[in-house]
Amino acid sequence: MLSSIAKPFAALALAAALISIVLAALGASPLGVFAALGEGAFGNWYACVDTIVKSTPLVFTGLAVSLAFSGALWNIGADGQLTIGAIAAGAIGPHLANFGHAIAIAIILAAGALGGAVWGGVAGWLRARRDVNEVISTIMLNFVAVQALSWVVHGPLMEPSRAYPTSSPIAPAARLEFYFAPSRINLGMLLAVVLAAACYLLLFNTGAGFELRAMGRNRRAATFFGIRIPALTFWVMALSGALAGLGGAVQVSAISHRLYEKLSPGWGFEAIAVALVARLNPLGIIPAAILFGALDNGSQAMQRTQGISPELVQVIQGLVILIILAFDTPAWSGLREQIFGASHDAAAVPPVAEMPDA
Amino acid sequence: MLRANAITKRFGRTLALDAVDFEALPGEIHALVGENGAGKTTLMNVMAGSLAADRGEAVLDGRPLQAGSPRAALAAGIAAVHQSPMLFERMTWEENLALGGFDTGAGALDLEAVATRARSLAAKLGFEMPPAAATVENRSVAERVRLEVLRALSFDPRVLILDEPTSVLAPSELTAFLDLLRSLRGEGRIVVLITHKLAEAIAVADRITVLRRGRVVARTTPAQTTEEQLAGLMIGEIVPQPAASATPPQSGDPVLQIENLTLDDHTGRRILDRLSFRVAAGEVVGIAGVDGNGQTELVELLAGARHPGSGKITVLDGSSGSAMAVIPQNRDLDGLILDMRLWENLILARPLRERVTSHGWLNTSHAIELCGELIERFRIRAPGPETIAGALSGGNRQRLEVARAIASQPRVIVAHNICRGLDLAATAEVHRTILDFSAGGGAVILISSDLDELLAICGRLLIISRGKIREMNPGERDPQRLGLLMAGARD
Amino acid sequence: MLEAFLTSTITMATPILLAALGELLVEESGVINIGIEGAMLAGAFVALAIAYFSGSIAMGLAGAIAGGVAINAIFAILVVNLAVNQVVTGTAISILALGLTGVFYRKLFGVTGRAFMVSPIAKIPLGPLARIPLFGPVLFNHNGLVYFTFILVPALWYVIAHTRYGLRLRACGERPEAADALGLGVIAIRWQALIVSGALTGLAGAFLTLAYANTFVENISAGRGFVALSVVIVGRWNSWGLAAASVLFGAAMALQFGLQALGTVVPYQLFLALPYALTLVVLAGFGGQAAAPSALGEPYRRQ
Repeated sequence: MLSSIAKPFAALALAAALISIVLAALGASPLGVFAALGEGAFGNWYACVDTIVKSTPLVFTGLAVSLAFSGALWNIGADGQLTIGAIAAGAIGPHLANFGHAIAIAIILAAGALGGAVWGGVAGWLRARRDVNEVISTIMLNFVAVQALSWVVHGPLMEPSRAYPTSSPIAPAARLEFYFAPSRINLGMLLAVVLAAACYLLLFNTGAGFELRAMGRNRRAATFFGIRIPALTFWVMALSGALAGLGGAVQVSAISHRLYEKLSPGWGFEAIAVALVARLNPLGIIPAAILFGALDNGSQAMQRTQGISPELVQVIQGLVILIILAFDTPAWSGLREQIFGASHDAAAVPPVAEMPDA
Repeated sequence: MLRANAITKRFGRTLALDAVDFEALPGEIHALVGENGAGKTTLMNVMAGSLAADRGEAVLDGRPLQAGSPRAALAAGIAAVHQSPMLFERMTWEENLALGGFDTGAGALDLEAVATRARSLAAKLGFEMPPAAATVENRSVAERVRLEVLRALSFDPRVLILDEPTSVLAPSELTAFLDLLRSLRGEGRIVVLITHKLAEAIAVADRITVLRRGRVVARTTPAQTTEEQLAGLMIGEIVPQPAASATPPQSGDPVLQIENLTLDDHTGRRILDRLSFRVAAGEVVGIAGVDGNGQTELVELLAGARHPGSGKITVLDGSSGSAMAVIPQNRDLDGLILDMRLWENLILARPLRERVTSHGWLNTSHAIELCGELIERFRIRAPGPETIAGALSGGNRQRLEVARAIASQPRVIVAHNICRGLDLAATAEVHRTILDFSAGGGAVILISSDLDELLAICGRLLIISRGKIREMNPGERDPQRLGLLMAGARD
Repeated sequence: MLEAFLTSTITMATPILLAALGELLVEESGVINIGIEGAMLAGAFVALAIAYFSGSIAMGLAGAIAGGVAINAIFAILVVNLAVNQVVTGTAISILALGLTGVFYRKLFGVTGRAFMVSPIAKIPLGPLARIPLFGPVLFNHNGLVYFTFILVPALWYVIAHTRYGLRLRACGERPEAADALGLGVIAIRWQALIVSGALTGLAGAFLTLAYANTFVENISAGRGFVALSVVIVGRWNSWGLAAASVLFGAAMALQFGLQALGTVVPYQLFLALPYALTLVVLAGFGGQAAAPSALGEPYRRQ
């Protein structure tokens, strides 16, 4: 157990070291940058709330990614699934004025989940029935989703005055922050935590979750023991999409209240780093999401005070993923055992990416 | 002369070779015998350059070999035919051989020239070659062995090391193969034959070295020893009594009925052709066959991992297909998930999973408890149910699979090459377990390419060849005839 | 009109095909490189930066090669030497490259939004060939990179299918353990494939900034690297198939501008989405992995 926590910390430390080199190359002060990040993320109450706000979508997409990755389904499309979920929420939101609050929330979230489920399900179906590598299909769907969003905010869903490319605001009944206005604390955060717990139970305490993990670790054996791979693939991708879509709906319902272009600053990709830091464990997603949410939040302060553009956060994401993968390789197993003790858990992400086979 | 001096090799915590000295002379066939896990393959890999020893070195004609470089070994004149397949399935046989020594390495790649050279060598050896530009994919097992031997010989090696080459050959092909080894010896080469089949070793070798648990325990010649003595040296104790000899078939109630099972592969080639047979309670039915005649697919069908083109599998008992437990041939690939814990591997079997699941909820502690019981009962050497399966030794993994099969309380157990890779003691134990199961009223289908195993413990014997099955009469036990039928001879 | 569309098709297809050909080499050796998008981006950025500050296109191209190779080298260390999961590593590399190019772009060129232009690579009309009606200008009035790509298609076909090196390459992708047992050197060959691919992909990126857009914008590659991955699959791991598939996707991209210029009533986003949607549709029809090298995507370590 200790080694499970120690490894991500070690990886983050190493990432920090490498980032420092990059920063030095850019002529910035590493300590200054890290201080700015920390200050921006946690410096005062408002910053902390903002960090949580920025972490929330990462919990949803992080859960989506970790669930799919646990089944060796490489869902790189959480961004697109979140976007489609947001579109569904943004489309139905303005029409919910006459519903009671609870019902309106339920509807808008359901719409988001459904939208995301469809987007994920398409990729799942393509993999299950047409042998299409889901990495490529989900990436393509990301691009299509971006254009879909652009279209709706310039077209069918555009707000009536047609002054700005956004959609009509959603009805107040459908807004999640209702109980805590004007602070941006919202029930979506609670939902995220509840879902994380639910995903954990699903993965480790149900028969279905076991089948998912078995499929992810050894597809051949899973097939041999009667686990129906095509159906499982489809449903896992649909569920994964639903989680991401839910994240999109929560974002629209609680924070943005409307749609606009570039709704997601890359939460779907960031989710990969989140999932790996959490070692694909749904409970670990929460602290991991907060970490990356903090980085996102702090990056604006970093830009202001240190002159480093926010893209640095993506560099951090990429490095963290690479380092964690490198840590888990069997190549270092001897060294790993010495530092972390004999570990009884396998690599979080199995080395084999199961390509669809004929 | 080929020498290995004080070779030591460790894999993690396992000491595979412990200061092993080995020597083979030109113009001799030297048999290296030992149980599976004794270190024979490891020693071969060190000599052939695929593995670097921790200590010690291999020396050919006085010149030390560069460790860990297959290229250097090949250049020095050592070629190996490995136990696991080393051909490139989707390439043509000409391309496969071109990657050997038939390609001169100069000028443009000339597959025609490669084919010509290969054919002439094959003619000298009495081999038949596949049709031009045929891929290796659909070749028979015997053809593949021939191609691998040919590729090894294409390097014109001083030393030829063969690792269990006869395990996939039909008994009838064995004689020709041993003659081939003799002719190679006649050419002055050094032939190292790694085998666990003692009869072959005695029949063809000039000298025999016995390995046990990574150490050399004996060096002898066929004249000075017997199979029994070698077996004793190999396992270091009294040879366990073979399991109860063939008992007459029990006439229990029929339990499994296979009717006209047919299966084609994705190219339309027929893999199983109207298979029909039935199995009764208390029977141990053997299906003998050389690898690659449809056994794997039959096992997949019985496991429910695949669906037949036509035909029926019926378990007569009212209960559904979960009344069958299957132990696949590929332990590590198909039977277990090495990354998962023992109890998780246990519940891979649907009946066991259902036992610990209610309404979709998995009762983890119940599963762990169940696993603990089985570990006790089947004497699996493991720290506990939470151990990762990959940490277990091969024999213990097999025990786990057998335990899982029996714990599922099936009516029928289907086992495919269940003792491959196990040492004699473990084999005897597995056989005992299976016989106990059948004595208790269960039915067993034992699919194997090892005729000795089948003759020892099976009541009924079927032969599978080219996807067709035939039942032998109770009296027909002549290994020669059975071997011919396995190799596809028609009556 | 038609001529403009066809010319545009070739222009759009070239960077995709160039990257795809590099990826073909890599996949034949048994590795799948999702980081190809990152290598393209790196090549694009380095090419522009060096060309802008040095004033030399040639130096820019050299920089692009270096950039692509550097990115692929990181990938190679992880995937070939350390045998980690290829898919996740590749994705991380693409994210990393996106971030690095973004950060360094802002640092070097500031956030003023002013476009930093370079003059494009010169076109080299091929004399009399360029004067053939219709096909002349479409095929033979391009810059050197395009011609290079043209030549690469048959060259790579020949190398992979008919040379000794190609045989060894394919052996690594088919069964690496057997290849190593024969002394072929799987690790070395996979590294070589990744280096060459890095160079080609870097050049593909350079095409985007030096020939096509003449500047750099964030994420200029816009998924072309990923489209290249699909091209390899749809083209059934065969150079000619890759060429055909690239032309198809190039046409879809060229269509965007053609139809926008027509000012039709159909929303322009449809056209921007077209290449990606088309990729999906084509993959659904022809996207099976049956023709893939057997060991593709499986990490391999010598024992």
